[in-house]
Amino acid sequence: MAIKTHLWEFHVKELGATLGEFGGWEVPMLYTSSMEEHNIVRTSVGIFDVSHMGRIKLTGPDVVPLFQKIYTKDISKTKEYWMSGPTMALNEYARVKDDEMPYKVSDEEWYVVANAPYREKMLKHFDETIKKYGFKVKVEDITFKTAMIAVQGPKVEEVFEKIGAGWANDLHTLEFRVNEEIAGQKVFLISRSGWTGEDGFEIWAEPKAMVEIYRALLKAGAKPVGIISRDTLRIEMGYVLGGHEYEEDPTKFPPALCIRYGLGAITWSKRGFIGEEALRACRREGCRWIRVGIRMTKKHARAILRQGYPVYVEDQVVGWITSGTYSPYLKRAVGQAYIDSRYAIFGEYVEVEIRGKRYKGKIFDFPLVPGRPVVK
Amino acid sequence: MSTIEFEAKGKKYLVRTDVKYTKTDEWAKKENGKVREGITDYAQKELKDIVGIELPEVGQEVKKGEAIGTLESVKSTADLYAAVSGKVVEVNERLLDEPELLNKDPYGEGWIVVIEMSDPKEFDELLTPEQYIEKCKKEAH
Repeated sequence: MAIKTHLWEFHVKELGATLGEFGGWEVPMLYTSSMEEHNIVRTSVGIFDVSHMGRIKLTGPDVVPLFQKIYTKDISKTKEYWMSGPTMALNEYARVKDDEMPYKVSDEEWYVVANAPYREKMLKHFDETIKKYGFKVKVEDITFKTAMIAVQGPKVEEVFEKIGAGWANDLHTLEFRVNEEIAGQKVFLISRSGWTGEDGFEIWAEPKAMVEIYRALLKAGAKPVGIISRDTLRIEMGYVLGGHEYEEDPTKFPPALCIRYGLGAITWSKRGFIGEEALRACRREGCRWIRVGIRMTKKHARAILRQGYPVYVEDQVVGWITSGTYSPYLKRAVGQAYIDSRYAIFGEYVEVEIRGKRYKGKIFDFPLVPGRPVVK
Repeated sequence: MSTIEFEAKGKKYLVRTDVKYTKTDEWAKKENGKVREGITDYAQKELKDIVGIELPEVGQEVKKGEAIGTLESVKSTADLYAAVSGKVVEVNERLLDEPELLNKDPYGEGWIVVIEMSDPKEFDELLTPEQYIEKCKKEAH
């Protein structure tokens, strides 16, 4: 039985959402049309309920040493009231357990947002690592105490002005504040961040307060947007999703380096993190597979790519599709793929086999949409 | 075109009263020995945004219940099945560039294919609107 998102009643009774399951949660898939909702985020402002994501509080003197073991990034450089930027937690094969973002309040108080399907696994991973090294860290899962929304789109500053929260517009990308007030409601945390490539904020608040904040945002012109658009937006940006671009199984997924995560997710000068040896071995030996973007040609604009479809150059299978969709913004079928690194040449054409037929696409770097992400 | 509205899973769906239905959510309308076929309002709402379609070829011989096309929605791929056996005499090529018509007007401009029936009895075996509503409601449980 799927867990209902904190705002479930509000979505169903007031917003008329169509619900579906993601990562063990029942979440809004869409409200009207996911294609329209996608364009709202690219041109105006959309509101996502992302309460299903794991919110974990970590406190104690050894949070930094713990994070230095868990993540590929040097977390010690993160400043107070800033997010570290995205990073990855690896297993010993340098395959990704989860891609996450730590938030630093102080050296001894941190928050982590985990992907919904991996929340429990990561809680266990934290606990086991704490025990193994004797770290003094307290882990608390606050996922059920708070709801979380992401307000995303180029007009987000106007919307925040309108709801009397213009002060939030001073936040830089990845900066956050705690214990603020928006629309007369207590906000536990607000950060300038998102997962769409657009400007925006993410807000954590108690579920009741969140409904009121949501209402104020609607009144100011923001529109509800479902998780389907969240997926199509992230595919355009080249952001990864567990189960598609990464997973722990080394027989099915390449090492973390092949993801070409970027955004400073790996700090090579850092030593001693879990999965480091396998990751360095991959770096030294080279990546067999490289993650790239694919844009189908105009003629094959409606050839929709799906996970697992083989990619060809001439008669050679050179890779596979990991995610695909139709981009309403580019008016093309687009996707992400792992391509044999010898064939991963931006601007070159490949063919994707769909139900026995070949369709032409071009290898692109990310993001597939121009001029993004927007950094404030 | 007259329609009935029914509710399942808390959502409202339309059925056309002057056509018959398959168990796989296609509608079929008799037109002078030929059958015009499309997908139902229930099907398009289940699939959500349809962004691509593969059509059968004109002249192709098809059997009732056979997969004759593919519908691509944002999240999934679904087959289109022939409502009756016969020869494909017309396909709605507009859908290749505007698959959203399947969402906007599934019973009208979103029609998919016209089949010249080889066995007119097959049409009579299709579900009535009432039977189709029952099927959808059962599925929703």
